[in-house]
Amino acid sequence: MKKIEDFVYWILESRFRKNMVIGLTILAFFASLLMFPTGAVLARMLPGKNATTFSIYLDTPTGSSIKETKRVAHCIGDVLKNEKDIVDMSFFYGQGIPLDYAGLAKGSVMKQAENEAEISVNLTPTHEREEPSFLMVSRLRPIVNEQCANVVPGTSIKFIEQPSGPPTLAQIVVEVTGKNLKQIRELSHEVADILKNTKDLVDVDILSDEVYETYKLVPDIQKIADESLSVEQVNNILYLAFQGMVVATKNSKNKLTQIPIYLVLNRKSKELEGDGVESLKAKIEGLNLMNRRGEQTPLTELVKIVKVKSNPTITHKDLKRMINVIAETDNVSQVYPLLDARSKMMEHFKEKYKVETAPISTYMFDLILTDKKTGERFLIRWDGEMKVTLDTFRDLGAAFIAALVLIFFLLVIYYKSFAISGIILGGSFLSLIGVIIGHWVADLVTTNTFFLTATSLIGFIALMGISSRNSLLLIDYTMGLIHYDDMEKKRAIAKASATRATPIFLTAVAIILGSALLASDPIFGGLGVALISGTVAAVFVSLLFVPVLMSNTAAICKPETIEAQKAQEARKKEKAKKASSNTDDEKETKKEDKK
Amino acid sequence: MHKYNEHYVPEDIAGKLGESFLRNPLTAVLGVVILALGWIALSTMPREEDPQIAISGGGVIVAMPGATPREVENIISTPLEAKLREINGVEHIYSTSKDNVGIVQVMYHIGEDREDSNLKLYDKVIQNMDKMPKGVMQPIIKTFDIDIDVPIITLAFYQTDPSKLSIAEFNEKLRTLKYDIAGIENVAKVTLHGAHKEQYNVKIDVDKLTGYHVSLGMVMMAIKKFTAKAPLIKGETNSGKIVMFGVDSAVNGIEAIKNIQVSVYRGDPLYLKKIATVEKGIDEQNYKEVEFFNKVDEGNSSSKIGEYTPQVTLAASKLAGTNAVVVANNILELIESKKEELEKLGIGYKVTRNYGERANQAVEELMHHLFITIVIISIMLVFALGWRESLIVTFSVPAILAITLFIAYISGQTMNRITLFAFLLSLGLLVDAAIIVIENIHRHLHLTKAETQEMGELLVEATDEVGAPTNVATLAIIMTMVPMAFVGGMMGAFMKPIPYNVPVALLASLFVAYIFTPYLSLKLLKKPKSTDPYDAEHNPYDICGVCLNDSDEKEEDSKKEEK
Repeated sequence: MKKIEDFVYWILESRFRKNMVIGLTILAFFASLLMFPTGAVLARMLPGKNATTFSIYLDTPTGSSIKETKRVAHCIGDVLKNEKDIVDMSFFYGQGIPLDYAGLAKGSVMKQAENEAEISVNLTPTHEREEPSFLMVSRLRPIVNEQCANVVPGTSIKFIEQPSGPPTLAQIVVEVTGKNLKQIRELSHEVADILKNTKDLVDVDILSDEVYETYKLVPDIQKIADESLSVEQVNNILYLAFQGMVVATKNSKNKLTQIPIYLVLNRKSKELEGDGVESLKAKIEGLNLMNRRGEQTPLTELVKIVKVKSNPTITHKDLKRMINVIAETDNVSQVYPLLDARSKMMEHFKEKYKVETAPISTYMFDLILTDKKTGERFLIRWDGEMKVTLDTFRDLGAAFIAALVLIFFLLVIYYKSFAISGIILGGSFLSLIGVIIGHWVADLVTTNTFFLTATSLIGFIALMGISSRNSLLLIDYTMGLIHYDDMEKKRAIAKASATRATPIFLTAVAIILGSALLASDPIFGGLGVALISGTVAAVFVSLLFVPVLMSNTAAICKPETIEAQKAQEARKKEKAKKASSNTDDEKETKKEDKK
Repeated sequence: MHKYNEHYVPEDIAGKLGESFLRNPLTAVLGVVILALGWIALSTMPREEDPQIAISGGGVIVAMPGATPREVENIISTPLEAKLREINGVEHIYSTSKDNVGIVQVMYHIGEDREDSNLKLYDKVIQNMDKMPKGVMQPIIKTFDIDIDVPIITLAFYQTDPSKLSIAEFNEKLRTLKYDIAGIENVAKVTLHGAHKEQYNVKIDVDKLTGYHVSLGMVMMAIKKFTAKAPLIKGETNSGKIVMFGVDSAVNGIEAIKNIQVSVYRGDPLYLKKIATVEKGIDEQNYKEVEFFNKVDEGNSSSKIGEYTPQVTLAASKLAGTNAVVVANNILELIESKKEELEKLGIGYKVTRNYGERANQAVEELMHHLFITIVIISIMLVFALGWRESLIVTFSVPAILAITLFIAYISGQTMNRITLFAFLLSLGLLVDAAIIVIENIHRHLHLTKAETQEMGELLVEATDEVGAPTNVATLAIIMTMVPMAFVGGMMGAFMKPIPYNVPVALLASLFVAYIFTPYLSLKLLKKPKSTDPYDAEHNPYDICGVCLNDSDEKEEDSKKEEK
């Protein structure tokens, strides 16, 4: 302990050494901040979660049959069944898997078409498996896509992981908004192409229907009227024939449900031989309608078959026409690919449109496109996890600044000095050095990228409190020594540093040991590393940097106020007694000798 | 030289608390009560994996047969969106306009009251019913509810021996099971995915239809005619008695359906069976199937099923605020009790999701984690301060967690991923207050004046001395955590447990440090009998194990021997 005291005193003695400490600290602070722009430390909202399950959403092109969807699903199943860590899979056709946390924001419940399917995949328990689920997904994604996406051309296969944070539609959501339906469809395809060609972006999908061919049966109104039939009858008969209809039900005493009687054409009669006007006509030929006079009229006489394009679904958000393009990131932060894709888009759209960027807000990545020919305006808006992140950081940042101000006032009330409060607050901010360097080291040591995440930030916030506690105890003790024991300032600071070193070390070791187990957790790892490395930095800051600042400030040796001094007169007596009996301090020993 | 018997008057809340509880016999009782409350909270607190986020919203589905997407957009979606936009608290409105149908979805701001939001949506739609365009069907309003809609447990049921039950019977069996499970306490919604219904399938051959000169419409009418069921008719006898009679459904069983007369062909009755095949099967028009792929363990041949076996998934959710672990276990128990019966019928099953188990694992993992951490910290303290001091700090961790857990429990929180995160985060901070107090006590004990100072007074003074800065510092940490409560949106709601629980844990750590540390010190610690103030070996500030209690004791022993 004596060593620490002497060392601190040694630093405090010389102005040069003091400036060295301050200089080095500031250097370290900016050097660590530089790790962000240089990419030595990568930031990400929340890391991947090592779960025991993931799901696969697959969409064959709009208008595909359940058979085609099944074929793709079985292809995926065949690829996945060789994975040793996959325990079982459930294939849900024409519906979503039983709702889970991920599916909440992804519209899983709304699925009901034949071209939609979801697969729920269960894995072996986390502690029995070497590969975390997020790495497994990232490894399987290209394999599955390569083998199965072309079973039915135009199929989109998306791997959905359990989110470690709140569920969002997707990590990257681009909303293409505008009035002109055709043009926003085109734009959305261009956006999707850019996203597909951006590194680290996967599972790109346009959330709109594909246009496919349909046949329109145009009713011949005159003929229908002549036969005293109705269009509705024509409709019904076609529906009954090809899709079938429950025409009656039969209640049952010993069954929980009614038994319906379902009427449909048999397979041979309804299955078309290829798609084309002729084959459809051939099938309709056998269907007759009976008019009031009891005469049979063949359906083919009443309608004319025309080939048309299907009408794609129109989606709105907040009353504006909008098409969503979504993408997931392949186990990296969404910020970097987003910026990459955005600059590519600005380049790409420059030819046809006037590109403007949005002002600073949580929608600051938006692009406003104005068509050079027509003057029509389109908006390319970035939503999804990025928006959530920005909103969170905005709120958290604002609230955090408010908290800092509050803490500052709390300290000013306690110490009645701006300088001392400033030292404590400033000192506590420096644990950031440790947090950043800790992440850099963790990234070097681990094989996967170790991200600075929201949990690291929360760890940093907690650290600010911890290191301000260290500084507080230190300053309090120093003040005690100066005020009540009339100790010389530098000696008092040095002695206080030495005395307070014990609890500072002990609490630091407690935090480090307490967080050591956390560091290996995929989600809370950031918190663990932040606490461990930040605490180490905080110890150095508390024992070296803060003493230097303390010796530089005039506030430490100034008696606070006369009233305060008077009020503490009684306490001073006590302290003086105690301090005079203090055993190991040479100064006091001397004092005692004098007495 | 000094009057040590002069009574020390504590100035800070720390010393005051320490003093008032120091010799109070109830302090021990309080300690036991706190631990007991914590244990109760731990064992009864609802556990779940993800925190509950109040997501309110709903959809309005309006069908308009025959309309194109553009028509639906103009006639249904846009006016409806504009109307729903008037609702207070709505964040976004999405709509999809398809052929024949328009769906408008409303998303409220996170944290909006769910019941209120649902009522507002119904209210708005019903109010504007008169403005509905012609040719539009009654709107369907669907509100969603995250607690009820996210199933906590799913089970895959499949047939291991299809010869034992027909598909319809298999489904029927599961439907009975579904109602059994729905009867379990706190089970909210039970659904079957991929279930099929029994159905009579009448499949008509078009060629025969034309051959016998009948139309599809005639067949339909014929079936309808004979399956109608009428209520009983009330008749009266001449003596005033009531006689009930009624027409029975003409169709009973498959034979009756086959023999429904469709028309007359060349004088002979034309029965349905002549133009169509009639069979009792399942609803094959329902394409919402579920298949199961189960990796079979080598040697376990009983569960051998095909690669893509048709299955029915039973999913059950729990009521809000109930314990996922208990509900899931109750469901599993019920199914377990029926296992033999199911096996006999050739039905196998597998649990494909169990959030209860996952929540339980997470909690157990935390407990394990906490335990290891406490052990590590206490070992560290044994070396730094001595085993008695270490014991005192070790007690404080469970006491603080117990208080925090209990407060979380009575304030209606659940134990989930994020609550656990809050506990893990505070773990490093919790022991601080206790360590600072015990270290100061330890230091005071080794001061010269300790010899003459009364033990209790020394403890109070030592506690009081570090009270003020510890209070301020803890307040500062609390202030850094509180802002998180003001983060809006989904993320804010998601991490709410952190600002709720960390400050509570920190405050609890202060009280435990001030109340129990001096109290336990009085019981466990003894003043070193003789200390040489100038002995370098007894330098009380050294952390590096020089001042180990053991070494103290050894030296004391040696001194005794000398005497």
